[in-house]
Amino acid sequence: MLGYILRRTLSTIPVMAMVGLFVFSLLYIAPGDPAAVIAGDQASPEDIARIRANLGLDRPFLVQFGEWGWRTLHADLGTSIFTGLPVTQMIGQRIEPTLSLMVLTLIFAIVVSVPMGVVAAWKAGTWIDRGIMTFAVLGFSVPVFVIGYVLAYVFALQLDWFPVQGYTPITQGLGPWLGNLVLPALSLGCVYIALIARITRASMLEVLAQDYVRTAKAKGLGQKDVLFLHALKNAAVPIVTVIGIGIALLIGGAVVTESVFAIPGLGRLTVDAILRRDYPVIQGVVLLFSFVYVLVNLVIDILYTFLDPRIRY
Amino acid sequence: MALLEVENLQVHFRTPVGVNRAVDGVSFHVNEGETLAIVGESGCGKSVTSMSLLRLIPEPPGKIAGAIRFGGKDLLALSEKEMRAIRGNDISMIFQEPMTSLNPVLTVGRQIGETLRLHQGLDAKAAEDKAVEMLTLVGIPAPARRVREYPHQLSGGMRQRVMIAIALACNPKLLIADEPTTALDVTIQAQILDLMRDLKQRVGAAIVLITHDLGVVAEVAERVMVMYAGRKVEEAPVRELFANPRHPYTQGLLGAVPKLGSSLTQESSRLAEIPGQVPSLTRPIVGCVFAGRCAIATDICRAYAPALEPKGPRHAAACHYALKEAAAA
Ligand SMILES: Nc1ncnc2c1ncn2[C@@H]1O[C@H](COP(=O)(O)OP(=O)(O)O)[C@@H](O)[C@H]1O
Ligand code: SF4
Ligand SMILES: [Mg+2]
Repeated sequence: MLGYILRRTLSTIPVMAMVGLFVFSLLYIAPGDPAAVIAGDQASPEDIARIRANLGLDRPFLVQFGEWGWRTLHADLGTSIFTGLPVTQMIGQRIEPTLSLMVLTLIFAIVVSVPMGVVAAWKAGTWIDRGIMTFAVLGFSVPVFVIGYVLAYVFALQLDWFPVQGYTPITQGLGPWLGNLVLPALSLGCVYIALIARITRASMLEVLAQDYVRTAKAKGLGQKDVLFLHALKNAAVPIVTVIGIGIALLIGGAVVTESVFAIPGLGRLTVDAILRRDYPVIQGVVLLFSFVYVLVNLVIDILYTFLDPRIRY
Repeated sequence: MALLEVENLQVHFRTPVGVNRAVDGVSFHVNEGETLAIVGESGCGKSVTSMSLLRLIPEPPGKIAGAIRFGGKDLLALSEKEMRAIRGNDISMIFQEPMTSLNPVLTVGRQIGETLRLHQGLDAKAAEDKAVEMLTLVGIPAPARRVREYPHQLSGGMRQRVMIAIALACNPKLLIADEPTTALDVTIQAQILDLMRDLKQRVGAAIVLITHDLGVVAEVAERVMVMYAGRKVEEAPVRELFANPRHPYTQGLLGAVPKLGSSLTQESSRLAEIPGQVPSLTRPIVGCVFAGRCAIATDICRAYAPALEPKGPRHAAACHYALKEAAAA
């Protein structure tokens, strides 16, 4: 077990290296001369040359990549072209709202979607099942920003239950922090809930037809134990997998959600950086998101071995 | 009063092609400590009969009617909660599929202990101790280690032993064993049967044993009920049935086809093959259910269903031409 965890953890190193290479290449994949792009329309050739030397763009690609990688490993992501601040500092200032939004959405989505899927499978074919699945299809097909605007209109503007937009740091109280995040988390969570609920239902349907579920009933166990202990633990692997894959969905959705609700997080930082062609910031944010994604999927892979004793590598 | 009395049991399934009358008007009883064997070909409704005793038939598409009295209580009238208190406690069940009937993600100890915690209120520690004890009882070596293992670490025979341990953990009054050895190797089959015979004496539970193996019936059971196409076609004490099978179907199963007048002695103790197929249960059957395959069927058979009638002491069969004891003698 320990050996597997170690091997699996080490295997993320080449993955992250590939991600690093891709992120670094962003500068070159982008159309035009990066230095000219950065310098802007009014720049003189000297300006461009200076920027190029500054960025080290006049040296061989691999040398540049090596240097960049080395700095990155030491938590130095360079400085923003636009603000002149270190990228790590800019990310540090913006990370709390995004992290809060994502963690809250994740918890909320799992707590809602898994029981939904379990109940749908249990009541398969009834109107309860059909109702849940209709909701899941809707949740999946309506874009995040539409859900966001509708929720903001109804619950913030009309009913005035929650603030329309903005963010309150958690240090200023749990209530205000939560109040600001409820609607964003709801809108961001919809797609995710739909995805997890559907996989949960499918996986549970398969498990509920198994002989050991009949055994559990024959022992006199109640419906709750049969569903959430005996069946769900067996159905867990695909569910956990989709939760991991869905993190990517969540990251993409967070960018949109932050715009809709004017949350000063990494999403806004990313959008702003792209608009300003602030490459070091773009690279830093993409690298961070990729790192989170790889990390979450590492944790999930390790989780498998706890969920299913038959899995051995 | 018998421990279990089943009266006019009907289990019907709604299917796309019509109502499947899996069990159609079956009555039987089991006395305390007695072993009743149920035999019959595949698809005759043996499993459905046994599952309905625990009310494990999925409703819908299934529907159970009639009466199932256990210790005087009509199980069909109980609430789901009251029924749960009986399952795994007063009545427990061993299934045909040892490889798939245990939960693959829970330890063996947990699966045995679960019923003890549920029905007898044991705490986790006491339940595990009792689980070790049960594993010892069913003859699993190194039980203290095995309780912590998962089903995939055990062989098929071991898993069936674990199923037996689970079923017996709460000292049930009635044990239902649905072809407990069919899925196992021949040598393992013999071991499991030895175990069951041994436990039967020690535990004293009544047993409903469903089996294909007439050798097992002869050794373990006191009475036999023969099912065909969802009906009971014959019932008799085990010696009587082997000596004087009255129903042509039973005779066929025993390999004693009346036309040929062959004897009961045969190499295999398995049910003999009877030409033809069990009739579709989704269409109403007119006349005798066995008429389509019966070598001595007549127009009367095809027009009128024979009633289950006494054919001797504690012996009954449903056939127009099954001889009464006096006539047969
Ligand atoms: N859940 C179900 N839905 C529909 N038909 C069923 C169901 N369970 C059993 N049956 C039908 O009931 C009949 C009897 O099956 P079963 O009791 O399993 O036979 P046996 O155990 O004697 O081999 C079969 O025709 C089978 O198709
Ligand atoms: S009633 Fe007729 S068809 Fe049915 S078993 Fe008896 S002889 Fe055969
Ligand atoms: Mg069966």
